Amino acid sequence: MISAQRWLPLVLVVVLVAGYPLVRIQQRVDARLQNFRVEEQMLYLSSGEWVKRLALGYDGLLACLYWTRAVQHYGRERLGPKRYQLLYNLLDITTSLDPQLLLAYRYGAIFLTELPPSGPGRPDLAIKLLQKGIENNPDYWRFWYDLGFVYYRSLEDYQLASEAFLEGSQHPNANAWMKVMAAKIAAEGGDRQTARFLWQELYNSTDDPALRQNAFNHLRGLQVDDEVEYLQALLQRYRQQTGRRAESFQELVAAGWLREWPTDPTGHPYFLVAGEQILLHEESPIDTSEKGRRE
Amino acid sequence: MHRVAAIALNTFREAVRDRVLYNLIVFALLLIATAILFGEISIGVQKLILVNLGLAAITFFGLAIAIFIGIGLVYKEMDKRTLYALLAKPVRRSEFILGKFCGLGLTLLVNTGLMAVGFFLALFYVKRSFDAGDSYLLVAIYFIFLQLLLATALALLFSTFSSPALSAGFTLGLFLVGSFSSDLRELGQAVELPGLAAVMEVVYYLVPNFRNFNVATSVAHGVAVPFELVLYNTAYAVLYGGLVVALSVLIFHNRNLK
Repeated sequence: MISAQRWLPLVLVVVLVAGYPLVRIQQRVDARLQNFRVEEQMLYLSSGEWVKRLALGYDGLLACLYWTRAVQHYGRERLGPKRYQLLYNLLDITTSLDPQLLLAYRYGAIFLTELPPSGPGRPDLAIKLLQKGIENNPDYWRFWYDLGFVYYRSLEDYQLASEAFLEGSQHPNANAWMKVMAAKIAAEGGDRQTARFLWQELYNSTDDPALRQNAFNHLRGLQVDDEVEYLQALLQRYRQQTGRRAESFQELVAAGWLREWPTDPTGHPYFLVAGEQILLHEESPIDTSEKGRRE
Repeated sequence: MHRVAAIALNTFREAVRDRVLYNLIVFALLLIATAILFGEISIGVQKLILVNLGLAAITFFGLAIAIFIGIGLVYKEMDKRTLYALLAKPVRRSEFILGKFCGLGLTLLVNTGLMAVGFFLALFYVKRSFDAGDSYLLVAIYFIFLQLLLATALALLFSTFSSPALSAGFTLGLFLVGSFSSDLRELGQAVELPGLAAVMEVVYYLVPNFRNFNVATSVAHGVAVPFELVLYNTAYAVLYGGLVVALSVLIFHNRNLK
């Protein structure tokens, strides 16, 4: 019998000698197959019903795994190629496997509606997902809120948004403001106050940290829009009174029009371009503002 | 009864000596990894995945024990010739089969019970509290135990007349077919082939319906399990399991051991 002292170093050497080239070869194969693998996944996993049948009753477990894959896919695409090809399919399979996984519908709809490059910008698919959620969970009134929100924010279809809020308001457990919101949107269409209320409500109604963070980002974006509008009005008044455009905010500070250089809600300074365009600092994490957005 | 208990206890001791309970370590590591990992890489499903994975792991570890120990219950005794010494004593063949079944049932009960303790500890780690909905998890674990008893009965049945490899294949095959049985019935109704629907209907009632016992997805969301379902599933497992054990006794009774 050979002692472990003799064979162990030999085994380690063999594993290292053979292992290193194996890892390198696998990496090269991965690099060459990367594009094909996306197509492969589409071919095998596109039907939620089939995955459910093959789950042997462990639908809930598979749903959690698919949901994790959807989250990972979204994050990876957001940082990388920004194609989001599998996102809807993964969400569809997740919700077919576990129709009660409310978070997948709500969060999935937000993922799908985010505009490129932060998301695929597919409100149509978000609506499809939410309608599936409503069908599977008729007692959950918040899907009507989410649906109204997609119509309101992404499609700017205030008629359908109002109808969704009204439909949701008829649910026995729905918040009273759903009816108010339906009336307000029907009467006034899109305004920033309504958008702020909707994001604030989303922020208040969820315990999920990521969902809250997303709502918080949008609230900060709206605050930037307010501030940019205020600063633009100030610049216009300055121009009217002095007869020339301000070169920078420093000029307004020196003239006593501003107490200090204005900053966004994260503390990053605003920039004045060509005397009238106000932009967010390039390091500012706020990417949800309409007015201060950097191209 | 005393003889059945003696054989059962011996079977349990043998399983413990065979280090069967070592699977608990793997189970514990799996739960710890799940509790920590999925909080980092997913959103909002930490509890759900822990519950679903925990219940699936209890099933699969238990199933592995039920099948791989169950298939050797009779065969091993014959192969080692210890069966002949045992049957030379005043022990009936039926008592031997019953004792073996109860012994493995006890092993599974201890294993499932310890896993349940670990599972609830991991759940407490994730949630920091328990609520009323968590009590249904106990029902789900009870259903898993019933499933494992059925699998044990099947493994024991095949063990009375077949080799371990074939017995494992038959038991696993029946588990799979039993998990797909409702799909088979739907298939029979969907395909327009004369007589197929009737055949699939017979198959549906003939094979053990393991899908009956899987309520993991619902209880993970805190959905209540109706008391009637607990009664029906218990009755189903007792009846079906009883029939299979009775068949095992019959086959073993008529088997020529010379």
